[in-house]
Amino acid sequence: MVLAIRAENLKIGYLDEEEEQVVWATRGVDLNVEEGESFCLVGESGCGKSTLASAIAGILPPHALTMGKLYIFDQLVIDDSKRNYNGIRGKIVGLIPQNPGTSLNPFLTIEDHFYYVLKDSKNMNKSESRKIAHEYLLKVGLNKDVLEKYPHELSGGMQQRVLIAIALASNVKIVVADEPTSSIDANLRAQILNLVNSLVKEFKVTLFIVTHDLASAGKICDKIAVMYAGRIVEMGPTSIITNKPRHPYTKMLFESIPILGWKRALNPLPGEPPNVIEEITWCSFRERCPLKIEICNKEPPLMLTDENLHFTRCWRFKEVS
Amino acid sequence: MPVSLNYIFKRIILSILVILGVIVFSYLLLMLSPGDPAVKWAGNPRGPGATKAIELAREELGLNKPLYMQIVNFIYNFLTGNLGLSIAYKIPVSQVIVSGFAATLELMLFTYFFSVPLGIWLGIYSAINRGSRIDSFIQSISIILASTPTFWLGSLLLLASNSLTGFFPYGRVSSKLALSTGFTPITGFYLLDSLIQGNIQVFIDVLVRLIPPALTISVYPIGVLARVTRTLVAEALLEDYVRAAVAWGIKRKTIIRQFVLRSIVPPVIQISGLSFVYSLVDAMVVETVVFGREGLGSILIDSLHKADFRVTLALAVYLTAFYIIVNTLVDIVQATIDPRIRL
Amino acid sequence: MLLPTYYSRIIYRNLKKTRFKIGVGISTIIVVLAIIAPLIAPYPDEGYGYIPADAGERKLVPPSIEHIFGTDALGRDLFSRVIIGTRTAVIQAVSVIFISLIIGMLIGVCAAYFKGIIEITLNYFIELFMAIPSIVIALFLRLTIGQGLHVVIASLVITWWAWYARISYVYAKSVVELEYVVLAKLSGLSALKIIPRHVIRNIFQALTVQAISDLGSALLEASAINFMGLGLPSGFPEWGVILYEAITERGIEAFLRSPWLVVFPGILILVTTLGFSLVADPLREDLDPRLRRRWKLWF
Ligand SMILES: Nc1ncnc2c1ncn2[C@@H]1O[C@H](COP(=O)(O)OP(=O)(O)O)[C@@H](O)[C@H]1O
Ligand SMILES: [Mg+2]
Repeated sequence: MVLAIRAENLKIGYLDEEEEQVVWATRGVDLNVEEGESFCLVGESGCGKSTLASAIAGILPPHALTMGKLYIFDQLVIDDSKRNYNGIRGKIVGLIPQNPGTSLNPFLTIEDHFYYVLKDSKNMNKSESRKIAHEYLLKVGLNKDVLEKYPHELSGGMQQRVLIAIALASNVKIVVADEPTSSIDANLRAQILNLVNSLVKEFKVTLFIVTHDLASAGKICDKIAVMYAGRIVEMGPTSIITNKPRHPYTKMLFESIPILGWKRALNPLPGEPPNVIEEITWCSFRERCPLKIEICNKEPPLMLTDENLHFTRCWRFKEVS
Repeated sequence: MPVSLNYIFKRIILSILVILGVIVFSYLLLMLSPGDPAVKWAGNPRGPGATKAIELAREELGLNKPLYMQIVNFIYNFLTGNLGLSIAYKIPVSQVIVSGFAATLELMLFTYFFSVPLGIWLGIYSAINRGSRIDSFIQSISIILASTPTFWLGSLLLLASNSLTGFFPYGRVSSKLALSTGFTPITGFYLLDSLIQGNIQVFIDVLVRLIPPALTISVYPIGVLARVTRTLVAEALLEDYVRAAVAWGIKRKTIIRQFVLRSIVPPVIQISGLSFVYSLVDAMVVETVVFGREGLGSILIDSLHKADFRVTLALAVYLTAFYIIVNTLVDIVQATIDPRIRL
Repeated sequence: MLLPTYYSRIIYRNLKKTRFKIGVGISTIIVVLAIIAPLIAPYPDEGYGYIPADAGERKLVPPSIEHIFGTDALGRDLFSRVIIGTRTAVIQAVSVIFISLIIGMLIGVCAAYFKGIIEITLNYFIELFMAIPSIVIALFLRLTIGQGLHVVIASLVITWWAWYARISYVYAKSVVELEYVVLAKLSGLSALKIIPRHVIRNIFQALTVQAISDLGSALLEASAINFMGLGLPSGFPEWGVILYEAITERGIEAFLRSPWLVVFPGILILVTTLGFSLVADPLREDLDPRLRRRWKLWF
């Protein structure tokens, strides 16, 4: 078993505009993603999912601060404040960005996008890159005409397919997808997710996907991690997480999913996530937790990993399931 | 800002309307400002021929006709280049302006030939080194350049050139040299004319005399373009597609060339166009008073001394037209460059 | 947010930047000088243009202890003229910008608020006046109504208002499409109430920043007009006029013999313009929150 991504107590924060305070977006993430696995990260918006995805893809902005360690196939890319993505970006890790509309350069044709990516990652010339581009566009269900087009001439769904093709074309081993379906039409979402899923399986690529869409995540992923306020509160094989969640937050998340066909009375998550500026060692969910007990206020939550590699960070895991 | 063919069509219509509008506006200024329009049109003449000149002007303007007829008449005369003789120069007004334009435009083109690339380069360099000492330095320099009064700087350059090299770059060409080598203006662009005639001596003389005024005028475009380009590059670097390009492993040099710089081309062209028409006025201020060159500046000064309203109005109209044409051209160029616009 | 707290926050945030501090320092000094100029000028009368009785003996004296900037061709103390000129500089720049801003803002906002023919007509006039160079207007006014402060200010305002109208129009256009403004309009609230309450208030910040950053350009253009002899008469305490007397009137060769007449007023124009720009630049960058951060090329 080879680990594709390994994070050890990874903390990532952002300096504010005055450069006086740090807003911590992830506050100690430990996580292992095996090679070939589809790993899904879910959680409310603002909990630090994109930050973690950016760290893996190597696109943290310059005002981000890092602590802890992040390995990508044994290469240490984040070593406390040092960040080094040499040989990672575009060679080992590829990205499917969140907003297809703004993630393609409006001044370049699709062909040029492929060309610049393949030139720098695989030393290809124009005709080689064109061949590869053509091949990958076919795989994502687009035809050759798209090559000559500019991004604005494509629909949102087509742009997203192009982005998927670009991410895969340079034969990366890990694909990071940050909410790849959040800004496209609802009826296309399942299609795009299935496409991503079948392609990563075909190319044996490790997928790290961030999503809101719990229902489809359950269908395509091997593992799910639930993030709350910068920490992973529960993580494990998909079937276990979806059927027998042990963290009250996971349970609430799943209860707030609209089920296909008829909408279950939506159970919006009560309460607000805590302010991320404060340093929290206690369970950050306790204010919103329906099962809170005495100990939750006294001690940091119990971290437990069982024989199925099912991880929970909660005192009350028994009561949840 | 996406621009469409429809937009360009509208721009052209608008440009024509604006040019007509400024003709009407200048005529109304002539009519409504204090003093008898005929007297003004005749250039405040004195002495024996005055009454006759004023009578003639009255006829030329058609002052006995209703106002709208006068305006139509005036527009017609303008468009046919038939504004009569300039008071100051005694040659047709349009000819005066055209000869002045060539001289000033030569200076302007020469200036922009080096200042636009330099300004853009400074801006890019400063943006990709943002936050560094060199960035602060370039920013400070460009802000100082854009704040410098050019007529003052020009005088100092002249002083410096005179005391350091003993050369006093006054005028467009040494008249002695021009006479002795038989140089004759053809297009009014002396650099071009001397080349056509194979007159290298004059070419060098003209070139050397262009340098101090060009340096003077260049401070504004350099300063402005450096500042604007820096902001544009800084903004472009924050685009999602730049982040994506980084994640795809595209090299820094390619990202900067193909992802960042491409996107700033249209706005940079626009700013250059705007600054070009601004610098034209700058050139008019320094070229004659400071550097003793002929051009629109000398026309302005002569119109002032001779109360030449004809040339004044023509200047207003031609300069406005120039502004509008440059801006419309810039819009069209911008639209052709930007793939988001389908022509 | 209340405007004063908003501005004090911005000022606080930018006071860490050296350039902003220098700008605030220069601008404050210039404004204070403008107010107390007659108290500082050693020969205030000469500063206002009166020719001293002993003019004959002290024409074109180079800088000395008695006349630290030297004297001009009519024997007037240049330092006094330059110091008093601060006042004219501030008056010119501020009144041009202020008047243009008010006119431009009203017209631009009206163009955005009242659609249809009003919008088209106003935009046409904006386009027209933006295109006319102020120096030609100045020449025209000089030929018809003569010289004076009002001529300089008028010739600049005639073209500058259009610039503010354009900016106001662009900003206001997005504001009038905001839901609550549309609702206010539908609910029958009169334009007289909606425009100041919602539209102008929303665009005011950006416009004031723009106005501050234009103060320097207004000063440059005004002094250029005076330098050409189109605005203020000879002898007026204004930097462009002093340069006019030194160069335009007497010819460039004369300047080579008495360069101090040119050096000092020019430096003041430069420093004042620079001061205004240094104040405005960080404020302008502040309008775009994405550019606020310190930043470096990270890939
Ligand atoms: N580029 C950034 N600069 C500053 N703060 C950021 C940046 N990106 C995200 N944040 C902050 O980090 C926190 C986590 O954000 P993010 O990782 O985008 O969450 P998610 O993707 O789960 O919605 C938020 O509080 C957000 O405000
Ligand atoms: Mg996100």
